Amino acid sequence: MSDPRIQVAKLQEQSAAGGVLATLLAFAVALAVVPIGSYFISLWYLFDGNATYAAITAIVAANIVLVSYVVISMWEDSSSDKTSQVGKQFETKKSR
Amino acid sequence: MSVCPPYAPFFGFSGVTAAVSSTVGAAYGTSKAGIGIAGLGQFKPELIMKSLIPVVMSGIIAVYGLVVSVLIAGGLDPAKDYSLYAGFIHLAAGLSCGFTGLAAGYAVGIVGDSCVRAYLHESKVFVAMVLILIFAEVLGLYGLIVALILNTRTTDDVQC
Repeated sequence: MSDPRIQVAKLQEQSAAGGVLATLLAFAVALAVVPIGSYFISLWYLFDGNATYAAITAIVAANIVLVSYVVISMWEDSSSDKTSQVGKQFETKKSR
Repeated sequence: MSVCPPYAPFFGFSGVTAAVSSTVGAAYGTSKAGIGIAGLGQFKPELIMKSLIPVVMSGIIAVYGLVVSVLIAGGLDPAKDYSLYAGFIHLAAGLSCGFTGLAAGYAVGIVGDSCVRAYLHESKVFVAMVLILIFAEVLGLYGLIVALILNTRTTDDVQC
């Protein structure tokens, strides 16, 4: 099993499986907790009971979670592209 | 005809419940996009992380309904006078957020399903998918803005 392509693919799969699940769980928890938490915290401590500003804060927080998910998914995709490019390097050396 | 009848909170709490009907839209969006992701995952599992964006957006639509419900419920207090005017405002706010959430979730589901299946074959569809999903998402946001604006009117001076 010394073929470097197989090794790269195995490492990729392991890191992908563990990493993806952890990321998804973190985002599921964040999506549940961050908006409603920021609503109540801003209501009590920041805005002195003004519920409209607290609702706007909660919506902004929820959209920040969404944007961070999009950014992280694109970043993970580009970093896994780099590991596959390393695998392609091994391929060209072997074909010489 | 009293300005603050005892059945006025019925409309207020109906508004709280109506706002959570955006969850119906979010459920449709999640399930329809999930069908597409299950199809894509058979062929290219490494694309699943990026394909889950429609599902996260459906979650955000449900969060919109949740925030409006909490906002309306926070304005209901048995110790204070509650006019029928305020009851109708709360009902209108909840309904506006709920219906637009339904619409937005429906759009996110259909767009998510088709675009995720197309993303399997053509990777440049990803940017278009995110753009279309953002436009579908702000439909729910409009209802939320209307609900927020309506809710600020409950502090109008109404003498019981």
